[in-house]
Amino acid sequence: MEHVEEGNGIREQDLQREERFEDELIMHLERDQFVAETSRPVPRAHLSATARAGLWALRVFVVLVSLMVIYTFFDQLH
Amino acid sequence: MATAEATPSPALDLPQLTDEDLARSWDRSRVQHARRHGKRWHLLWLLVGPGILAMLGENDGPSMIAYAADGAQYGLGFFVPLIPVLFAMAFVCQEMCMRVGAVTHRGYGELVLQRYGKVWGWFGAGDLTLTNLVTLVAEFVSIRVGLAYFHLGAPVAVALGLVLVLFTLSGGRYWRWERIVLGLALFNGLFLAAAILVKPDLGAVASSLAFSPFPGGSFNTLLLLLASTIGATVTPWMIFFQQSASADKGMTPSDLKHGRYDTALGAVLASVFGLGALIAGAALLTHSGAGIQGFAPNAGFPQALKHVAGGLVGTLFALGLVEAGAVAILTISASTAYAAGECVGVSHSFNTSPRNAAVFYAANVGVALLAAVVILIPGAPLLSIALNANVLATVLLPVSLVFMVMLANDKGLMGRWANRRSTNRIGVSVIAFVGLCGAAYGVDSFLRVTHLIGS
Repeated sequence: MEHVEEGNGIREQDLQREERFEDELIMHLERDQFVAETSRPVPRAHLSATARAGLWALRVFVVLVSLMVIYTFFDQLH
Repeated sequence: MATAEATPSPALDLPQLTDEDLARSWDRSRVQHARRHGKRWHLLWLLVGPGILAMLGENDGPSMIAYAADGAQYGLGFFVPLIPVLFAMAFVCQEMCMRVGAVTHRGYGELVLQRYGKVWGWFGAGDLTLTNLVTLVAEFVSIRVGLAYFHLGAPVAVALGLVLVLFTLSGGRYWRWERIVLGLALFNGLFLAAAILVKPDLGAVASSLAFSPFPGGSFNTLLLLLASTIGATVTPWMIFFQQSASADKGMTPSDLKHGRYDTALGAVLASVFGLGALIAGAALLTHSGAGIQGFAPNAGFPQALKHVAGGLVGTLFALGLVEAGAVAILTISASTAYAAGECVGVSHSFNTSPRNAAVFYAANVGVALLAAVVILIPGAPLLSIALNANVLATVLLPVSLVFMVMLANDKGLMGRWANRRSTNRIGVSVIAFVGLCGAAYGVDSFLRVTHLIGS
């Protein structure tokens, strides 16, 4: 009986030590570094109509040039 | 996001902890111990990684071939000073990635997706997947070309690349992955050794620093080499990788100075090793060089260098190609995995076990596996794929760079660590330069193959 209680006591001490160790370790992280925090999405930014138009223009330009490069790639295979 | 520096979390108000938190806090405890005890070199050792890996990862197979092709085609001239200039440009872009990652603790993909909307997030991820897949094929080709010098075939190249990916992923810790890849990346210095052994004319190297002589010959070939040389220094995967890796490493605003050292050191090393490949390639100039055919299946550049400069130079160049391909496979696969996890919205960290981050690990292995399969297809146009990998990256880069600059300027995310006006000026110039060079090659080549202008 005594052995069992002694064993439980040691196990509890180990658990407490482990928890303390984890608590100390966690103190080294910034609050917003925790996975629970980074899992929350950041709020959506407001883009002006000009910015949106500029981004779409750049996207169309890049797609067109990419298609030209890909066309050239396939043409040069022949 | 932009909060106070390293403020300890109140123990009573802790969010639910994960294994990822514990692993990262263990790494942070070492950083803070080194900082508290004034161990400068140890602190630097602990904080270097993402910057060097992004830069040396970009000194990959197609890049080293592009540099060597510059040398073989034009000798020591315009491209010698261009390489350090391009890496200075890369430093400006990568420093922004590191800063945004350290301040927000979030990757590029998830920030674009959440801040500017799913359309832009998925466009970015799509660009990345396309360029990464093409580039990864080129990396396996690079290993294959390097191994061909030692009479080893494509299956060995595939096995080597895939075993490395699986081995580095096996630890379940960011720190372990980073240190293994850093160790491998240092062998990029083999190109410098090859350059020294070809005994270059140091006077010619020095005089080329004045961007002369300017390359002559075919305008389209010049544009191809210019676009692929730019694509050899800044690419979409580097942006995704360094920001996500900085966040995964647990960097904070208090580490920004060391993050800059890391990125600058990476840029210097990559520049020196890239110049090594160019100078070694220049040895072929007067010997009807391998030119842009350096990826030819019969070991291309290494074999040509063996004939011109001796067996040791050929061997070093071949081993360099194997290393360049191997390191790039690891970093590019990692950037794909980060992007996949971030865009799907699931766990995306090397500090998480495969069971808890299935998408991250599956994307990491899957994209490498897919690229490996391509090089085993008989008759696949490997040479063309390899030559066009960097060009495609250059063409798609401006969009990624624009969002990078937007994120780095976002006061809501970055607070007092947002871009200064001078950084923005350089950033915008880089975007304009890259966009112009990519478009010039794309349009010129298209007009030539469609016979709208004479070839």
